[in-house]
Amino acid sequence: MKRLLLLTALVTFATYSQADARIKVKGRGDKMNFDPESISVEFRPSFDLMTRKCVKCHTMERTVIAIQTGRAPITGQPFDKQAVKAYGIKMLRKPNSEMNKPEIRELVLLMNYLLEENKK
Amino acid sequence: MLFFRINVMTGTVFSAFLLFVLVSTNAHAIPAFTRANKVECTTCHTIYPELNEYGEAFLKNSYVYFGKGDKGAKTKESTPPPAAKAAPASKSSAARPDIKGVGNADTLNKLMAGALVATDDTPAESAAAVSHEIPAEEGQPVTTAADAKSEGLLLSAIPEQLPISFTASINGSYNRNTVNEFDFSTRSLKLNAGGNFKEKAGFFGTYLIYTENVANIANTSQTPGNLTSKNDIGELFLIWRHALGSPINLKIGRLQPKLGLWKSNNKLSATNSLAPYVYTVGSQSVFRLEQPQDALEANAILANRLFVAGGVVNRKQQNTKEGYGHISYKFGGADFVANEPEIDLNKDESIFDFLTLTIGGYGYFGTNGNPNTTAGVTPTQNKFYRTGVDLDILYKLFRMRLAGVLGRDDNPELTVTTKAVKSYVAAVEGQYSFLENLIGALRFEYQDDGRGYVRRYIPTIGYTPLQNVKVAAEYKHEIATSYKDLPGNTAQDFINRIGTLGVTFSF
Repeated sequence: MKRLLLLTALVTFATYSQADARIKVKGRGDKMNFDPESISVEFRPSFDLMTRKCVKCHTMERTVIAIQTGRAPITGQPFDKQAVKAYGIKMLRKPNSEMNKPEIRELVLLMNYLLEENKK
Repeated sequence: MLFFRINVMTGTVFSAFLLFVLVSTNAHAIPAFTRANKVECTTCHTIYPELNEYGEAFLKNSYVYFGKGDKGAKTKESTPPPAAKAAPASKSSAARPDIKGVGNADTLNKLMAGALVATDDTPAESAAAVSHEIPAEEGQPVTTAADAKSEGLLLSAIPEQLPISFTASINGSYNRNTVNEFDFSTRSLKLNAGGNFKEKAGFFGTYLIYTENVANIANTSQTPGNLTSKNDIGELFLIWRHALGSPINLKIGRLQPKLGLWKSNNKLSATNSLAPYVYTVGSQSVFRLEQPQDALEANAILANRLFVAGGVVNRKQQNTKEGYGHISYKFGGADFVANEPEIDLNKDESIFDFLTLTIGGYGYFGTNGNPNTTAGVTPTQNKFYRTGVDLDILYKLFRMRLAGVLGRDDNPELTVTTKAVKSYVAAVEGQYSFLENLIGALRFEYQDDGRGYVRRYIPTIGYTPLQNVKVAAEYKHEIATSYKDLPGNTAQDFINRIGTLGVTFSF
């Protein structure tokens, strides 16, 4: 009986951990975004930056879907770490994107973190 | 009184422009390529129809969106960012993604399905793409289970969307040298078609449906008037992409020969093409570099940054063929297949992170004049050539274009006693992007066409309140001085001051 209880507890614990590891999402449609509370404290400033800068040209829903599906929503192309860096460079060079290199680096690292978390 | 009138006109134009700027909001454009690839206009355009580097890549890729088909970019290696080096590959597309959240359910369903379906690649190619390919920005449609093409359409290579769109232009101009000083009756309507068939072939066509009063608006019509009496087709060509598995694309039909770096409509100005592309020599020869011709062209992108093209032109009623060639190379920026440059994000910003320089050179030789296809008749003809160099420099919000051409015509007046003429024409244009949808430009042109000198100063402001609607305000100050020591010269001295406010929209 003890073994059964222990096993049940372990399974419950493992399932709970796995379900909670991914970054939570809140909001609907254009308002969809990652839940800041579920983002690691060290990445919160980067997340704030992303929320301010990226929405200039597109909604955060696009980012959320790309992270969660591993594919860019419109192109359908893979959205992995290579792609994240390429998008970062593109946004760095984009006229009027108003993002500098340190900011882009922060956002690339943030999205890499989000991709990692999404795999858990 | 005149000063007052000009001030009133200027004030009215400015007020109208300002009003347009203030009351407009952003929206998505809908012409053919946008519909087919489900992207916004600014993916390929700065201010429509001027192309950005991704638009140039799309054009060079025969109207196939970057990453589709068998482009050479897949061989390019990319160094991942520091934190990414040890990371495992991204989630396999073979596994159903567990998507959470409460966003648009329909979109999510499509994406979940899309994530399971490889876009165009075989599984092996998909795996390669995951590890090597740097995708471009949004543009390639997701092939989803929900909106997959019907098998019949797919097998027939017929585009799912009818690949046509329309472009309308309405221009008002002010020119003191004309009887009708204020002229608001200039307009044109053009049908455009373009796309690809299963990425194996590309096609493009323009048909001028209607024009009115375009004489003062240079280049509104792309019609090559000297080619045929039926002159409504601007361009109409088919491209065999990557013929026989080679990097060579074969293009046939009526087309603008690939000479300069920019196609005729690739500009901020609504009306004025670059002088090196549109000038003519003498009173008889009507040859212009940007003129569509009946041609067969081969072109290729080599090593992702070198573009070469060459072709043969068949001129109506001339049994001698004409030829041309082009070569261009791009330093920095995205390459010709839209791969981003390798930039180390850990290093400080460098000028080379943002500097893009494209240089191109070209040559064209040909013959025009009286027909030489009638037996027993010796025609009066003009043999000519043009050779030129273009430079396109992009740095952050600045862009500069330089174009220069040298030409020689051995008998441009088509007289019995031939007299050769050399021509030198150059243009330099600086652009600054104030906002993503507001660009200002200033151009200077110098033209020595063998009969006189012309200098032009052309400031332009282009604005797109909606991505498919462009408002351009421009002024052309043109000073012409004829050769005084040239016997029989019909060129005259004149000064033109022409203001234009144009609206162009596509749908």
